[in-house]
Amino acid sequence: MAWKRFMEHRIGMIGLTVILFNLFLAFAAPWIATQDPLKIEPKNIASPPSKANFFGTDGLGRDIFSRVIYGSRISLIVSLLSVLAAMVPGVILGSMAGYFGRWVDIIIMRFMDAVMSFPAILLAIGIIAVRGGSLYNVVIALSVVYTPVFYRITRGSVLSLKEKAFVEAAMASGNTPSTIIARHILPNCMAPIIVQITVSLAYAIIAEASLSFLGLGAPPPAPSWGNILSDARDFMMDAPWMTVFPGIAITLSVVGFNMFGDALRDVLDPRLK
Amino acid sequence: MDIVLNIKDLKTFFFTREGVAKAVNGVNLCLERSKILGLVGESGCGKSVTALSILRIVPHPGKIVSGEIFLNDVDLLKLSMEEMRQIRGNRISMIFQEPMVSLNPAFTIGNQLIEALRVHRRVTKAEARNLAIEMLRMVEIPAPERRIKEFPHQLSGGMRQRAMIAEALLLKPEILIADEPTTALDVTIQAQVLDIMYRLTQEMKTAIILITHNLGLVAEWAQYVVVLYASKVMEEGPVEAIFENAKHPYTQGLLRSIPTPTQGRRQNSEKLHEIKGVVPSLYDVPRGCTFHPRCLSCKAICSQEEPPWVTISPGHRLACWLFV
Amino acid sequence: MLKYIFKRTFYIIPSLILVAFLVFFLIHLIPGDPAHVMLGDSGTEEDVAALRKSMGLDRPLHTQFILWIEKVGRGDLGVSIYDKRPISQSIRERFPVTLTLTTLAMIISLLLALPSGVLAAVYNNTRIDYLFMLVTIFGVSIPGFWLGLMGLLLFSLHLGWFPAVGFVSIEEDFFQGLRYMILPSITLGLYMAAVVARMARSSMLEVIRLEYVTHARAKGLTEWKVIAKHALKNAFGPTLTTIGIQYGMLLGGAVVIETVFSLPGLGKYLMVAIFGRDYPVVQGCILFMSITYMLINLIVDILYVYFDPQIEYQ
Repeated sequence: MAWKRFMEHRIGMIGLTVILFNLFLAFAAPWIATQDPLKIEPKNIASPPSKANFFGTDGLGRDIFSRVIYGSRISLIVSLLSVLAAMVPGVILGSMAGYFGRWVDIIIMRFMDAVMSFPAILLAIGIIAVRGGSLYNVVIALSVVYTPVFYRITRGSVLSLKEKAFVEAAMASGNTPSTIIARHILPNCMAPIIVQITVSLAYAIIAEASLSFLGLGAPPPAPSWGNILSDARDFMMDAPWMTVFPGIAITLSVVGFNMFGDALRDVLDPRLK
Repeated sequence: MDIVLNIKDLKTFFFTREGVAKAVNGVNLCLERSKILGLVGESGCGKSVTALSILRIVPHPGKIVSGEIFLNDVDLLKLSMEEMRQIRGNRISMIFQEPMVSLNPAFTIGNQLIEALRVHRRVTKAEARNLAIEMLRMVEIPAPERRIKEFPHQLSGGMRQRAMIAEALLLKPEILIADEPTTALDVTIQAQVLDIMYRLTQEMKTAIILITHNLGLVAEWAQYVVVLYASKVMEEGPVEAIFENAKHPYTQGLLRSIPTPTQGRRQNSEKLHEIKGVVPSLYDVPRGCTFHPRCLSCKAICSQEEPPWVTISPGHRLACWLFV
Repeated sequence: MLKYIFKRTFYIIPSLILVAFLVFFLIHLIPGDPAHVMLGDSGTEEDVAALRKSMGLDRPLHTQFILWIEKVGRGDLGVSIYDKRPISQSIRERFPVTLTLTTLAMIISLLLALPSGVLAAVYNNTRIDYLFMLVTIFGVSIPGFWLGLMGLLLFSLHLGWFPAVGFVSIEEDFFQGLRYMILPSITLGLYMAAVVARMARSSMLEVIRLEYVTHARAKGLTEWKVIAKHALKNAFGPTLTTIGIQYGMLLGGAVVIETVFSLPGLGKYLMVAIFGRDYPVVQGCILFMSITYMLINLIVDILYVYFDPQIEYQ
């Protein structure tokens, strides 16, 4: 039933289409990219868009179109991994805090509060600063940054569901806490968690691009969208296409997730509309 | 008869994506000056929407589709928005069911009362403050000078409702619409609040439309009763006529379902009366007489055509095929 | 009320200590020996040992922490490895730039967000609302650094309205300084504007349906008064919280924007330090910015009572 309402939601459908298209591009990159994204062509530096190079070439003569297409792989994989790595501990800790309460709750809450006291990007930068710039560290940094929000959402849902009758019934039947949480409580919390996943994915794509742009992400010559834009800085005056296209790619990618997330939120909790 | 409010054939519909909800579908109502009229009906029958229509503050997607509402001899529905605004809170006031949600939690009681005054009268803040304190005293709120600086959540339920009454009567309106004023209150407080309301309005000669589903309240306080069901008036008349001589099957059902001490107890086999069936959705009101699906005396014609008005005795009339 | 302020202030102290500890601990997360990493290949064994001693890395962990807290409490954040100047002084010099940037961004963002969010709520489900939703969805999807680059491209390089490089402090010359700040501030503020606008809209939507709004109308108030006074005050609370949280985004975004526009602020200082492995500077900057963020949120919490008096009593 919720599915039908979703179908009627135009923005959501557009978002979903964009996401699927994005996934397709990432998956089918080797077939869609026209050239090798890493191949340096000294004769073809900073040339404007043409039939051979749809988006033009960069400072080392590499085809921007292919680099952008392969870049989608990096952005999607990094965001998916970070969000997953944030969601699992977040949900587990949140359920524990909500269910067991008292000192378990207080201790975890304090720790999460401390993490949330840092501005997100700053924390990510800090972690990467000490561990070195690489996609692996980006995933670690982002997962630390995003865990508290999953924790908070899960804890809130668990707390409110804990009082409900069916949970009390499960407790009275002598189930272990982990069973109760896993089989009875969590399935009912899924709605806000799923919405949060899409929102976090959108943030993560921007975060990865920003970190790579700053030089803290994928080391060159990896075709992360942030890297491509960073390289483009030296050529802004003469080759504006190098700046335009990767940014559009990032924006469209994120828009897809945001539209989808908005529609999900409307459908799963119309009260928030 | 000195009629202060005359509602003629009012129709207010809600135009939503799921269809048109005909909340008020041809309601007529006559309110006499200084008298109390009880507007009775179950939840969802259109009583509140009628009240909101009088003040023309029906929320979107509701619209007053047709009808006339005469305040003395002026049709309110023909007034401009600005003219209407000057009537609201001034000549017609309204109090709501849950004062915790109808008083703004972010402003002090004093702020809200003073605001109500200064919207319509040119008074200084100091004068307004004094008038407000006086009014709070009149509704029997102790230490009004202190209360005036407090927020709604700092007062008890009964005090909040009395504060609302004070605000509503500050400008000595001709009509007070009370939408379920005591439903959210404890029984002991209910009587107190209504008593204050009655006393003050008698002094000010304010007419009251008392909207409620509680027949006991109506019996005790109202002089005239209008029974509403699913967007239409079923029966209306003086309170004695309705309570002692109700003729409409719905009204009779309502009166019968007021529990008496001998009903519903285990030692006794007398069951609680109920009217079988459920209130229809306003999106899908039954054809003909709106009550016919639940009426035990339903005839063939009841499901096809709307019943006409039949006058039983002076002031007492009903819409029912049984009496034609 | 005073009691509430004290309560709130006390509440953040444990978090403050934890934050300080995390920042302190950052150095120990460095793979390998911190002193060695910082000096790179340019240091001899004695230099490394000397550095370790001066940084106190040879002492046990808790001692280090206490010593560090002592120093921080006195305002001494250490000395930069790179330019040998006291870090707190460098921060003091550069913070005004970042502060100006974030404050301007905040002002611009609120000027855009609040009226449009309220309007979208009042005209819910009309074309104005749909346009608003479309614009804000893009607003939260455009990466800040790219917006900055595009802004530079269009307004500085192409149209020449604003300077692309260089910097003049607002303290020295207000209008000239403003010219250098406008593009970065707008870029930084746009994302926040979109987020706050959406929050304002949804908050307003919730409030507008509530009974005290109907009641306000029933009193004969003009629609303007109903929205601007009664609805807005209640709706503003959650929006205020969002603004506080978004300030963190502004601080983080400042790092990126200062890099894009080459502004001599804290963010740029931090980035240079990261690549130069100047870890004391990294620690100092992160600590300073985080504490600023926590203070801002504390102020937001205290202000919240004005908009929702019931909080005080919970």
